[in-house]
Amino acid sequence: MPDTPSDLVQGTLDMLILKTLALEPMHGYGISVRIEQMSKGVFRLNAGSFFLAIRRLERYGLIAGEWKPTENNRRAKYYALTPKGRKRLNDETREWGRQVAAIARILEAS
Amino acid sequence: MSLFRDVASGFRSLFRREQVYRELDEELGAYLEMAVAEKMKQGMSREEARRSVRLEHGSPEVTKEFVRSADWEFWVETWWQDLRFATRTLRKSPGFTVVAVLTLALGIGANSSIFSVVNAVLLRPLPYANAGQLVLVSEAKPEAGISGVGMSYPTFTELQDDHRLFSASAGLAGHALVLTGYGEPSEVSTVVVTPQFFSVLAADPLLGRVFVPEDGRRGAAPVVVLSETLWRHRFGADPGIVGRSIALDMRSYTVIGVMPTGFHTPFLNQTSQVWIPLAQDPLFSVWMTRPPQEHWMAVIARVRPSISSAQIGTELDTIAAWLAKEFPAEKGWVLRTEPLQRTITGDVKLPLLLLLGAVGLVLLIACANVANLLLSRATSRSKEIALRIALGAGKRRIARQLLTECALLGVLGALIGTLVAYWGVATLVPLLPSSLPKYHSIRVDGWVLVFALLLSLGTSLVFGLAPVLFAAGSDPHKELGEGARAGESAGPRRARNCLAIGEIALAMVLLTGAGLLMRSFAELTSVNPGFEPNHVVKAMVSLPQFQYSTPKQWGAFSEELLTRLQALPGMQDSAIAGPLPMVDCCVTLSFQIVGHPPLQAGTADTANYVPASPHYFSVMGIPLLRGRLFNESDSSSSVPVALISEALAKRYFPDQDPLGRHLSFGFPANGTVSRAIVGIVGDIHDVSLGEEPGPMLYVPFSQAPLYGGEVVVKSTLSPSAVVGAIRSVTHSMDKNLPVTDIAPLTDVLNASMAQPRFRTLLLGLFGAIALLLAGVGIFGVISYSVSRRTRELGIRMALGAPPSSVLSMILRETLALTLTGIAAGVPCAVVTARLIMHLLFNVPPYDPLTLALVSLVLIGVGALASYIPARRAARIDPLVALRYE
Repeated sequence: MPDTPSDLVQGTLDMLILKTLALEPMHGYGISVRIEQMSKGVFRLNAGSFFLAIRRLERYGLIAGEWKPTENNRRAKYYALTPKGRKRLNDETREWGRQVAAIARILEAS
Repeated sequence: MSLFRDVASGFRSLFRREQVYRELDEELGAYLEMAVAEKMKQGMSREEARRSVRLEHGSPEVTKEFVRSADWEFWVETWWQDLRFATRTLRKSPGFTVVAVLTLALGIGANSSIFSVVNAVLLRPLPYANAGQLVLVSEAKPEAGISGVGMSYPTFTELQDDHRLFSASAGLAGHALVLTGYGEPSEVSTVVVTPQFFSVLAADPLLGRVFVPEDGRRGAAPVVVLSETLWRHRFGADPGIVGRSIALDMRSYTVIGVMPTGFHTPFLNQTSQVWIPLAQDPLFSVWMTRPPQEHWMAVIARVRPSISSAQIGTELDTIAAWLAKEFPAEKGWVLRTEPLQRTITGDVKLPLLLLLGAVGLVLLIACANVANLLLSRATSRSKEIALRIALGAGKRRIARQLLTECALLGVLGALIGTLVAYWGVATLVPLLPSSLPKYHSIRVDGWVLVFALLLSLGTSLVFGLAPVLFAAGSDPHKELGEGARAGESAGPRRARNCLAIGEIALAMVLLTGAGLLMRSFAELTSVNPGFEPNHVVKAMVSLPQFQYSTPKQWGAFSEELLTRLQALPGMQDSAIAGPLPMVDCCVTLSFQIVGHPPLQAGTADTANYVPASPHYFSVMGIPLLRGRLFNESDSSSSVPVALISEALAKRYFPDQDPLGRHLSFGFPANGTVSRAIVGIVGDIHDVSLGEEPGPMLYVPFSQAPLYGGEVVVKSTLSPSAVVGAIRSVTHSMDKNLPVTDIAPLTDVLNASMAQPRFRTLLLGLFGAIALLLAGVGIFGVISYSVSRRTRELGIRMALGAPPSSVLSMILRETLALTLTGIAAGVPCAVVTARLIMHLLFNVPPYDPLTLALVSLVLIGVGALASYIPARRAARIDPLVALRYE
């Protein structure tokens, strides 16, 4: 059985994918490599959890997929942020910042 | 999130499943391919890279399943898959499916049938608006040990005028009047009511109107309300009936309304009846003016919603205290209320719950049987399941699949069970004792169907659980490994043995209950009723009171009737009396022994009272013990005499000679006279065979005639010839007289046992089903165990064990199983027997004979059920067995 994304804070995988796609449209493998690189290997993604998140985001209309040829002339599905996804990313980033700051305050206070 | 988008996209992928899967497939393929390419770039060989990617991300098939399982449409789809798979599996083993479904159908059907009865009688509220507000108000005299008797009219008027407690109240009493003018004269069941009767019950008429207070006044025009059944059958559903006149007891009543069939009078269940105001009744209206000492009227009332039961108590005490002051005779009487529902169904609650419990046990046994079958199958399917687990199927998924199979079995069982229930209810209703309240409304309705469905799902969970648990514990390494053999692991075998033991224990409980009831019933039928019912026919002849109004006329009529009957050929003997034993119970009178000091106020000696013509005792075969019987010279002008029963003589004249002593009593109460005791006759069971004979008082019919009575004729002719003779003689005297309630006395005796017979029959039936199912269960366990042990048995025989020892080994095993079941069943059976103690007659709840017999039957059935597989085991050819698999 694939791991559930519990090694990531619940819901953060969605945010990371949105963040990754904010720069440019990418295919699935590209997204996962980018997340691993940006986290300097802290987050290692499992294909199962990853595609679960992708499908969820696509279903909610936050990202849109399109089949395109890759640089090595294969076919892959490229995902791009929809306006709705961009808005969600902004909201979540702000919310995340607020929470992190709050948690940090609590941890420092004790 | 957008629910709409989710649903829409779900549907899209449901319908374009192929494409969606292909896309996921391709996308995942590309992803993994890129991962492999990446690894190869880092210097791995293609093979190494593939392996490494697979280790990191798991099997692509599992991943796809995992990704898809997050969507709701996946559930629909897999459920559909499970269902189709279950259908296919069940169809592949038709024998198993048929046995399981039929077992369940039997259990569910029997339960739904009994539940229909329980639902109609106990659960469904009475068919009146806000039935919970209805109460029965009765009078009681705790110091004299009298409770739950009717109310006197003055007390009722007091209650009716007090509007604080009850929004409405009404009294009712039943008897029969003679309806003439439409076809043959007949008696019609008449409910005598006070005018608010219909408004208390909030019942509306089908046609016309119901009573208004003015109809209840003395001197008002006589009016009558008909029941729909009577209106249809007797008056051809005449739409213009309202306003027409009908004759009751030769007196004209104007029809003012017709009540629909759905309306039933509490306590008086006849579908064909009339209602008349109390003031218009020839019999009971005289008691409207009496001082309040006759406690005769059933009073129902509707409690105001805001009133608590404590308030009712204190308020009723106030009324009772006021009445005691006003009427000294009422001193000591108190008023009590009881919910109408409880009054009506109280008596049958225990027997019905007993039946429901019994049929529930049958279902449990059925479940155990199906669970057993499933367990055997699960063991043979363990390889299939292990293979599926090895291929990546989740255990939860497999459990779901197995449970779907069980649910499918359950639902199929429920479908056929519902048919069984329809048939069961149709068979059951005519068998029900007609005294069962509300039995008109017994049917398979929505609630029963819901019950059946819940039952089927509940049972599928119960019988499905064990196999699922074992499947979940299955270990692919062991099952698929080299050494996997046909021998089975201990878990399922122990579970199957436990199930079989449980079945035997449950069957033991049911059979003990059935056995106790059967023994009680046998005891009951062997009770000597005190009279000889063979060759005796009874018929009721009633005289309309407006036409035959004086006791003199009644006496003359009965004398003439008996003389004419006696003159016919073939009539051995005839008499008139009333009430007859076990027909209409009873006229209980208080009496005084003349010469004894008067009893303390408020207490009374009572006995059941019967006026009888001289030949009554020879017709009925009641023996004369001492003194003389009545004869023709006991007339209205001679000395008043009485006969007493042995019980009365023993209780009240323990060491004296009662002959020649005088008793003072009378019916009605104002007709009290002192009578000389001229003889003692044998005791009879006046109320029922189950009750000890009580004291009886007989007086000559000629000295205390009634307006009609029960004619009893002893004759060697056929009952129908006797009936014809009684009818023609009666009609030769007055063609307008009804002759009703005709029956051989043996039928009356049988009818008195209808309730015990019914429950004995049903419980016997359930016991038989339980026995059958338990037998099938044992058979299943043993034959499965034999087939799994073919190899072992073969080795034993190859090593020299004779077939007879194999046979006895299997039989011994079964015996151990059966004995364990019996040991577990005995304490349960004893506890159950204590619960039904009140239904037993002359049989102790702990009855060693019944327990021993039931155990023997179970051992026998166990031996029988295991004999076939044991024989098969004994005939095993060692060579074939060793080559097995």
